[in-house]
Amino acid sequence: MTTGAFLRGRDLSGDLSLEVDAVVVGTGAGGSVALRELARAGLDAVAFEEGAWSTSKDFDQREDRMLPLLFQDMGGRSTEDMGIRVLQGRGVGGSTVHNTNLCKRTPPAILELWARKYGVTGASAADMAPAFEAIERDLSVTEMTAAMRNANNEVLRKGCEALGWKGAPLKHNRVGCQQSGFCELGCSYDAKQNALKVVLPQAVAAGARVYADVEVTGIDHDGASVQGIRGVVRGPDGAVRATVKARARVVVLGASAVGSAALARRSGVPDPFGQLGKGLRLHPGGVVAGRFEKTIEGWHGIPQSYECTEHLSFEEGSDRRVWIVPAFAHPIGAASSMPGFGAAHMAAMRAYPNLAVLTAMVHDETRGEVLAADDGRPIIKYVMSDADRVQLAKGLAACARLLLAAGAREVTIPAIPPRKVTSVAELEALDFSFVRPHAVPLTAVHPMGSMRLGDDPKASVVTSMGEHHQLKGLFVSDGSLFPTSLGGPPQISIYAFALHLAPHAVARAKKT
Amino acid sequence: MREPPSRPPAAPPGGPRRLSRRRLLQAGVAAGLVAGGSALAFVRTRGYELPAGTTLAAFTPWQYLVVQQAARRIVAPDLPGDASIPSADDLDVAGFVDGWVARMDPTMRRDLGRFLGYVEHLAPLGAGCASRFTRLGAADQDAVLASIESSSSDLLRAGFDGLRALVFLGYYRDARTWGIAGYDGPLVNRPAGGWR
Repeated sequence: MTTGAFLRGRDLSGDLSLEVDAVVVGTGAGGSVALRELARAGLDAVAFEEGAWSTSKDFDQREDRMLPLLFQDMGGRSTEDMGIRVLQGRGVGGSTVHNTNLCKRTPPAILELWARKYGVTGASAADMAPAFEAIERDLSVTEMTAAMRNANNEVLRKGCEALGWKGAPLKHNRVGCQQSGFCELGCSYDAKQNALKVVLPQAVAAGARVYADVEVTGIDHDGASVQGIRGVVRGPDGAVRATVKARARVVVLGASAVGSAALARRSGVPDPFGQLGKGLRLHPGGVVAGRFEKTIEGWHGIPQSYECTEHLSFEEGSDRRVWIVPAFAHPIGAASSMPGFGAAHMAAMRAYPNLAVLTAMVHDETRGEVLAADDGRPIIKYVMSDADRVQLAKGLAACARLLLAAGAREVTIPAIPPRKVTSVAELEALDFSFVRPHAVPLTAVHPMGSMRLGDDPKASVVTSMGEHHQLKGLFVSDGSLFPTSLGGPPQISIYAFALHLAPHAVARAKKT
Repeated sequence: MREPPSRPPAAPPGGPRRLSRRRLLQAGVAAGLVAGGSALAFVRTRGYELPAGTTLAAFTPWQYLVVQQAARRIVAPDLPGDASIPSADDLDVAGFVDGWVARMDPTMRRDLGRFLGYVEHLAPLGAGCASRFTRLGAADQDAVLASIESSSSDLLRAGFDGLRALVFLGYYRDARTWGIAGYDGPLVNRPAGGWR
């Protein structure tokens, strides 16, 4: 067994050349589990992560410092038309470092759909149950209690109760939570039981090496089998300081639905049926704010602990495809979400402590695409379909109704001009046809579906075992795999699918 | 409430246009034609004087001044004369944005530069002002920014939103602004008497 370690590319004194059994690209939920399983199988496995290796000591709860540390493009990534902001993790642990720790299994209806329509085999609810159970045990998943519910989440619960809508507490993967409310900026208290704290240390204990600061720039292959990867370490000025090359029989992509597909495209991975990068789902969401007489101070406490599923169905083409959860930001994020500028905007900021904010995320059916620019950077093409725009409008209307039902004095949909209502009657009179990307601020935190599972090579990118249809030894282990949106937070599904599929990568790596 | 239509309404006249970054570049080219023409190029390189001691990491002097003046309007105080409200200049918002932009991807940096060119040279014309943005008074600058914010072009609105976000980042990152929002700040390294 090799000696496992966390290493920093910036500490390299020269170029790095390795010969290993398996390489994992990306260290989020999917990559971390794949790495751990490869190492536990006795294989020499190395992971490369583009961002930095940080720990809880580095997370100082400051937006301006954490955005560059923990997010791709310093939090500024967006769709190509800039209509939807796409927040994605960067750094060892990936998005599990900044996410809000929501733990939901892949809905059985989604798994059935994938089997029935998308040719996914071996991934029924029964097939997946052991992986879900194992991951939930690893990550100490529990239901959040009423005592953990902050005022913003309590607003959602009250709204659901008043309207008789379906609502329920959510599960999470925290232990020792201080309820500081800074989850999206990394946990200063190491309470998140995530890839960074739990899975990657297990991988390292099993002998894996994790290299931070290494940007993988290409997958080496001969058109039939992978041969390894190549990458670079950049200095603060962006100049290449060292090159990295790793020969391996197996390469596992765990760099997200955006990063993995872009890397595959820039590497010339075979794509005879034009499926690579296609079918991207973003699960985009818009927000609605309610102003209350009482103080909410939604930045205090666990950000998301309750959900409304009244308008969420998993049938394709359903007219109920909206998931509603609280969404609160710290001042910079809040200021950016509020419409306008100047004195009116500052006056609106003074209401910040009295705001409750909900988000409606669309279980989208829009099929976006991930491309790679000439310089290798990902390009996210996503033009929201008419049907999804209608769902978004319905979702924002539902958020407004929930806030009013919970006692909001005024509800604002951030748009230019802002739409404000103070009663259900005003809400019912409001024309929601203005709702669309660019007219309301939209954010996506759950990209999925750019390298889909399935047994038909004409309709998918990887087999139901996670291996590329044409390129032997190339595996995918992240949200790229999912043929559709999940309609909810994907982290547990990503961890579980990574665990479920890892034996196939292990078997491939062991074959000589 | 009026149910959202099963299909969204037809696009309003002149928009909405789904613009890609490529089109932003085209818009930038239009701005560049204005800014890069021989006469205007002369104007563009003259009359942009940085405050003494200012050093730039990413912006050119004219870009810095556009951001500086836009920032003054974007975080203009709601209570003029209230000494507890720091100004954009007090917090050197433009300097912070310059440093931030220096770390941005070159493509994004280029797009922003071209958008700033639009703000400086073309947007005032669209708002009925016959002078570049940095030479306008506060009320006219507000009108120019409002015209971009409500533009029928998706991309111009997105560009403005990006500029706004950078300014808010530079402003609300500072503990001296947190009192405006009633925000008590991070728990980590919190001073004994609180941040405010």
